[in-house]
Amino acid sequence: MKDQLKAAFDQIQADDALCQRTAQIVMERARRPRFAATRHPLLAAAALIILFAGGGWWLFFKPTAVISLDVNPSLELKINRFDQVIALDARNEDGRDVSEQLQVFLLSYTDALQQILDTEPIRDLLADEEILTITVIGPEGSQSTRLLKGVQSCTADQKNAFYYCAHHEEVSEAHQLGLSYGKYLAYLELVQLDPDVTIQQVQSMTMREIRDRIAQLSDPDSSDPLFSPGQGNGHRHGAHHNE
Amino acid sequence: MRSEQEVCQAIRRHADRVRRLCLLHLKNEADTEDIFQTVFLKYTLSDKVFDSEEHEKAWIIRVTINACRDLLRNMFRRAVSLDDISEQAAAMPPDHREVLEAVLALPQKYRTVIYLHYYEEYSAPQIGQMLHKNVNTIYTLLSRGRNLLREKLGGDEHEGSAESRL
Repeated sequence: MKDQLKAAFDQIQADDALCQRTAQIVMERARRPRFAATRHPLLAAAALIILFAGGGWWLFFKPTAVISLDVNPSLELKINRFDQVIALDARNEDGRDVSEQLQVFLLSYTDALQQILDTEPIRDLLADEEILTITVIGPEGSQSTRLLKGVQSCTADQKNAFYYCAHHEEVSEAHQLGLSYGKYLAYLELVQLDPDVTIQQVQSMTMREIRDRIAQLSDPDSSDPLFSPGQGNGHRHGAHHNE
Repeated sequence: MRSEQEVCQAIRRHADRVRRLCLLHLKNEADTEDIFQTVFLKYTLSDKVFDSEEHEKAWIIRVTINACRDLLRNMFRRAVSLDDISEQAAAMPPDHREVLEAVLALPQKYRTVIYLHYYEEYSAPQIGQMLHKNVNTIYTLLSRGRNLLREKLGGDEHEGSAESRL
């Protein structure tokens, strides 16, 4: 069958005219000034001038909370005190692929979250019953509570979404270990049940795999993973959940 | 931004591949041309540094599949004429035409994995990574797609054992 398929697909080729047209049009389009690509930097520059003039630079660009999104792509949104995204960090290779499709600088965290959920890889993964965990990292207080409620509201239609809250101190080692904040919390939970599990193993596991493993170890008699499809909208919280 | 020379070389390297992926998804010449421009414009503007030709190839495949899916979401383009397949297939030797028509008659979800595995020779874990799907899902799609193809084409019995080593 392999040879048959190879021979058949070998017949499909792009003709020279298509290649030439593509090269010509692509180079023309690439050389055009792109307003969309320059708009955000211009807006950012304008915002910077205004903020410097008002002495509000520090207030505006100091992250006060982080939202960690983990499926297997792991992304972190740094949020300022005005609930706007001031940085997007990809925490693994899959996350980097997703982040290339995003423009979230200075967006509200809900718009940024929606943009992430609308990307092809994340949409496909969630359609495949993968688990989305969202962790809000920040000091106990009104912003963390507000952010948590906001992300819950944004993802209300995701049946496999789980939510956590944590303090910065709890997850301070995460990045040194090459994990996102959210995945690090899951690692801490798993390592208590399986002390032999390594960081490298966790790095390559999806959140569903980690959660299923935790469920199996927590209840060894159960053959079914806790996080089976159709379980419903999960709401799990870390030790410092602010609700 | 990449130079014109780099872009032309990339088009030469990957045009047939993009063309085949378009055939699997679109079967429409006008849309194929759109996808070519989308994929190679993205390549031109991308600052991504590729570790190897394989890395670049995988990137092109993924971008092409995503571009095809985005285009198909436009409801006005979903009604695709099957005449285009027939026109392309008519010019082929009958054996090849039969195989190609059998692949294109498969449900969409099987076509891409069958192509990536049998033609591009990616393993199930590699395809899973590329399509952001669970590897077990890929095994299932490959197995079912292969069985459907066998029903249409008549398959070699020994291939079943070979496939279990994917």
